[in-house]
Amino acid sequence: MNIVENFKIALSSIWNHKIRSFLTMLGIIIGVCAVIIIVAFGTGAKNQMTEELFSADKNIIELYYEPFPDETGEAVWTEPELTEQDLAEIQQLPGVKVAMGTNYGWGTLTHHDRQIEMDITGVGREYFYGRKITLLEGRYFTKMDIDNVNRVIMIDDFTKEKWFRDEDVVGEIVDIQGNPYKIVGVYESTIPPEYRWSESGEALMPRTTVSLMYFTPEITNMAILGESPETLAETAELAATRLTEIKQLDDGMFTYWSMDEWEAEFESFYNTITLFIGSIAGISLLVGGIGVMNIMLVSVTERTREIGLRKAIGATRMRILVQFLIEAMTLTLLGGLIGILIAYLITFAAGQILPFKPVISPSVVVIGASFSALIGIVFGILPANKASKLHPIDALRYE
Amino acid sequence: MIKLINVSKVYVNGSLKVPVLHDINLEIDDGEFVAIMGPSGSGKSTLMNIIGFLDKPTSGTYELNGTKIDSFHENELAKLRNQHVGFVFQQYFLFPRQSALKNVAAPLVYANVSRRKREQKAKEMLEKVGLEDRVNHLPNELSGGQKQRVAIARALVNDPEIILADEPTGALDTQTGKQIMDLFKRLNTEGKTIIVVTHEAEVAKYAERVIHLRDGKITEERRDTA
Ligand SMILES: Nc1ncnc2c1ncn2[C@@H]1O[C@H](COP(=O)(O)OP(=O)(O)O)[C@@H](O)[C@H]1O
Ligand SMILES: [Mg+2]
Repeated sequence: MNIVENFKIALSSIWNHKIRSFLTMLGIIIGVCAVIIIVAFGTGAKNQMTEELFSADKNIIELYYEPFPDETGEAVWTEPELTEQDLAEIQQLPGVKVAMGTNYGWGTLTHHDRQIEMDITGVGREYFYGRKITLLEGRYFTKMDIDNVNRVIMIDDFTKEKWFRDEDVVGEIVDIQGNPYKIVGVYESTIPPEYRWSESGEALMPRTTVSLMYFTPEITNMAILGESPETLAETAELAATRLTEIKQLDDGMFTYWSMDEWEAEFESFYNTITLFIGSIAGISLLVGGIGVMNIMLVSVTERTREIGLRKAIGATRMRILVQFLIEAMTLTLLGGLIGILIAYLITFAAGQILPFKPVISPSVVVIGASFSALIGIVFGILPANKASKLHPIDALRYE
Repeated sequence: MIKLINVSKVYVNGSLKVPVLHDINLEIDDGEFVAIMGPSGSGKSTLMNIIGFLDKPTSGTYELNGTKIDSFHENELAKLRNQHVGFVFQQYFLFPRQSALKNVAAPLVYANVSRRKREQKAKEMLEKVGLEDRVNHLPNELSGGQKQRVAIARALVNDPEIILADEPTGALDTQTGKQIMDLFKRLNTEGKTIIVVTHEAEVAKYAERVIHLRDGKITEERRDTA
């Protein structure tokens, strides 16, 4: 069978009825577009949250405190203070490669006439190893920096590039909330490149310094680098139980973020949205499909003569059937491709505004395109069959 | 060689039966030039469609080159139409949005001929009918006579032994009609069997044999030795 020839006939017949074809495709366009967009947003949001919660390193897990609700059902938030001793205890546990303690600060970093908003992570020396921090210039914090509560800061290369360009920054003094800090090192940013759209970069400080300057405990967050990803949840469970024990907690407990648990939660939320928009898209595709069927039936009637003539010059039923099926398929495939294009533009534009980047994966595009082609075939069967069954004599006599 | 034995055709419209052809016995040899004449509604087109495998007789037998085709499947008939006959109609029946070349090449698509061969063959045929300078014209850019010549080129493209023309000059002026008939005459001398349906005596004169149809019967058969 001459697929290429049929395809050309189909394209020219679509082209000859531009407006009609476009209106017919509208349902398919909207349906495919909607589906691609939800999948893109879902994937993007999921990627983003996964990135944030679990960092790029699947072998790191964070512990956090969860208060029990009181008799009124409200949780009382008195977070237990964690100390160096606690960290050392956790470090001893089997399966724990590195126990990391951090706290957080935030401030406007001023250097001459430049001002940058910064997220500051207060760290201990174990952090460099645990998070695989790569030094690019200068030095890491020393034990002295931590113990002496030195006013030192490390910035990531992203911040350096963005704010200091090629200047030498190591040794420079910057001002944060009225206090001077010395930049001692530049490290490779841990923010994945696709998330570096925000204005601010990251900075590290000794957690003792952050504690002093921001009046927070030395350790507010504890994370564990496990020996292996397989036993990570087990290790986290052990560590959380141990911490609860050490702190003799009775109004709350330590627990950990489990990937599985979180994924299940997100999945159910995402599935609800998908079901909702998916059913709208489904209806749109169904209506679109029926529209295609309708217009193809009209087209068969209009082209009765052509069909009769094709039979007179030797076309078999099969040839006519295939011709009209390909035409219906071309129509919906084209609609699908336009839908994909629009979805791409919308997600691209949305990616500029949203805090996460929607992701259109190639497999979704392929599935979207094949599915729209399939709709054409399914809804094209009836008209194509009608066309193929026309008797050549009746078709040629048709006025 | 075409042989019709006791061929009848009855159209059924609901409960109404319209008999159109009665016990037609007809033999047409290879290379003959035959005209089928008769008043309007006498069944000329019906007979031609049966000869051209477009329609099946209600009863009777059709032998093509000695083979009975009565029980042939639809697909086999389509193949016969593609390989053994070329149709020319009064209303030309060209694809309006396709060039002369594409129109002429169309039967070759159903013969599974490659694109290059199709175009080459179609060009040859357009040359044969004197339209080598109209290859890329659309039908609406051609005169009636030119359209009919495109249709003839299309009928010839698969190199069939039989050309069936149903009132081929019906929509043309006398002068152009003559040119078309001259073309048929030339094709006949080149060996094609030509069967022309007409109600014009002028046209029938080109044939060496005229068959008259009246009330569904061959009422007269006369051999001219012009
Ligand atoms: N599909 C059909 N159903 C019923 N009657 C038909 C049909 N086709 C043709 N006829 C009738 O058969 C007769 C012969 O038609 P036709 O072969 O076209 O005649 P001609 O070509 O000689 O004018 C006419 O009376 C016509 O009305
Ligand atoms: Mg007629």
